[in-house]
Amino acid sequence: NNIDALQPLETTISDMERFKDATTLDLHCPNCSSEFPFGGIVPSNHYLMCYNGLQCKNCEKIFSTIQLTSQLESSIRSHISLYYAGWLICDDITCGNVTRQISVFGKRCLNDGCTGVMRYRYTDKQLYNQLLYFDSLFDREKNKNQEIKPLYHEGDPDFPTEKLNDSSIRALSEQNRELFEVNRGVVQKYLSDCGRRYVDMGSIFEFMA
Amino acid sequence: DPQKYKFRTMRQNLIDASDVLDEQIEIFTKIIQEHYNLSPNQFSDPTIQSQSEIYTVGRIVPDSPTFEGRLNTESIALETSRILGIGRRVRLDLSNIKELSLFCGQIVGLRGKNANNENFLVDEILSLPYPDAPVSTEEEIKGFQENFNNETMKVIVTSGPYFSETNIDMTPLIDFVDKINNQVKPHVVIMFGPFIDLTNPLISSGSIPTFPNLKIQPKTLDELFTKVMTPILKTINSQIQVILIPCTRDALSQHASYPQDSFDRKQLQLPKNFKCFTNPSTFQLNETFFGCSNVDIFKDLKEVTKGGETSSRNRFDRISEHILQQRRYYPIFPGGTRNVKIDKEKKIFKHIAGADLEVPYLGLTEFVGNVTPDVMIFPSEMPRFARVIQNVIMINPGRFIKQKGGKGTFAQITITKPSLEDDKLTKMENDDESVYLHNVWKRARVDLVST
Ligand SMILES: [Zn+2]
Ligand SMILES: [Zn+2]
Repeated sequence: NNIDALQPLETTISDMERFKDATTLDLHCPNCSSEFPFGGIVPSNHYLMCYNGLQCKNCEKIFSTIQLTSQLESSIRSHISLYYAGWLICDDITCGNVTRQISVFGKRCLNDGCTGVMRYRYTDKQLYNQLLYFDSLFDREKNKNQEIKPLYHEGDPDFPTEKLNDSSIRALSEQNRELFEVNRGVVQKYLSDCGRRYVDMGSIFEFMA
Repeated sequence: DPQKYKFRTMRQNLIDASDVLDEQIEIFTKIIQEHYNLSPNQFSDPTIQSQSEIYTVGRIVPDSPTFEGRLNTESIALETSRILGIGRRVRLDLSNIKELSLFCGQIVGLRGKNANNENFLVDEILSLPYPDAPVSTEEEIKGFQENFNNETMKVIVTSGPYFSETNIDMTPLIDFVDKINNQVKPHVVIMFGPFIDLTNPLISSGSIPTFPNLKIQPKTLDELFTKVMTPILKTINSQIQVILIPCTRDALSQHASYPQDSFDRKQLQLPKNFKCFTNPSTFQLNETFFGCSNVDIFKDLKEVTKGGETSSRNRFDRISEHILQQRRYYPIFPGGTRNVKIDKEKKIFKHIAGADLEVPYLGLTEFVGNVTPDVMIFPSEMPRFARVIQNVIMINPGRFIKQKGGKGTFAQITITKPSLEDDKLTKMENDDESVYLHNVWKRARVDLVST
């Protein structure tokens, strides 16, 4: 359909734009139970990427690989499950009906007299972008080039006080090569089953043909 | 056909989903017409006013799309198919009905009248016919008799989780393998997931310890299985067939929706006596047809009931009959969801799991060949049970281990050999050759055993 035909353009949009609705990867320290968002090799008041992995700033514990991958995988799966909860929303803003009911005419709004069109509130495109966002967090090149979506904006109460310099970001990206590859493998496991990705690739192919 | 479960996930299309929902009503319209010997023109649109009584078919839905919580007899509507009532919904007046049990997603046949253009006054809920039981020919039965050396077929059924929410201790699984190898000695073990439950707080919060016995620590949840659970499962006697059925909460499957593709045996590094089946799946062990589905229907199906006769019956019996009548392993729509409260004061909930229905593929969850399996297994968090409903054995084996680590249960099914001599099989006269009902419920014994 028409929406799919627009897909090739997607590859040209920046990660910042593509990931604007993506939610953070929230981690829990298995040692001291503090909770914080993880955003790759970026400044944070709560964690530090050091040469041998992810370290909690609160208790100085270094996460084992599986302590990170299991949380990443749980996060991915709760996103997939939320997608499959199948919430729909009516596009007529004066109606805004939000429901998990589907009419036998899928796009018809079930509110009497409403001519709005129903669509999935959590779209497959959003889910696909969420997976790509998780993938970017463990992408060595993107970390090196500081292309990851920032966790905080200036003025946020939690805005990190310290900064990271370019050379240490580059060094840390290399030192955490294996850890990052294992995590990317977890995201790829789901991307490989993601129907949306094949639409993306399929239409790129058509575009070139 | 297991190949049909190999679709790519995470790309549902609303139109495909609604096609399937429409088709379900159409399928049952035909079943009801045939069963009650009614002609298509006796069925009409219940959403428009009419002076005469009509027959109609549709899906039970709430009378408002934003309805939350539990339905009651005042808040029920009927959704029509595209053909019968252009998909319109009409509120049901059930005041004339004395006994009923209804749930969202149920397909029903009704007799009644819409006299005021506002609601459809129901005079009768047509009970749906039960599908046929499977049969075998004389020759097939003779073949089945030769299959086992001993008199009875023994099948063990377990359902995950296999470790608790307090520590990742494999002792119960090791003890279980020892028990089946040396004491129980079954022919077949059916193991339901989750093997690694993503909603287990140890897993979701990353609280995974190091394993002192392992030289190389697992790096992912998949490796947690292959390094910690596979070595134990491999010690199951290779003469025992093991069937694994996934669950959408299982880390081992990247296919996180229902109907769900099977695990990959080689990825799990399991030997050849292991077979990986889809969720749901229907298969035959000797003559007996097994139907297995791993979504918690007994927890999720929330009925509206009315009448003393209906409510005094066992809830599991009523739900079992619904499953048989709807001819689908999970007839609820929309599917169940599980949320946790993350902020007590602001009452903010977070979605953590659910039935995860892949609506366009719900056709794969219908009974294969419109035949009722002899034995149906539905793992559930509800109390374990084994009951005979409409000559079908319905089993919930219960959890293998309790949340805090206490002993759980498994089911042990023993089925005596089918025999043409002992009158336990029912002969059905057919045109060319006679066939036999398996009557497994007369020949089987189910024990729910502590692990
Ligand atoms: Zn900590
Ligand atoms: Zn609307």
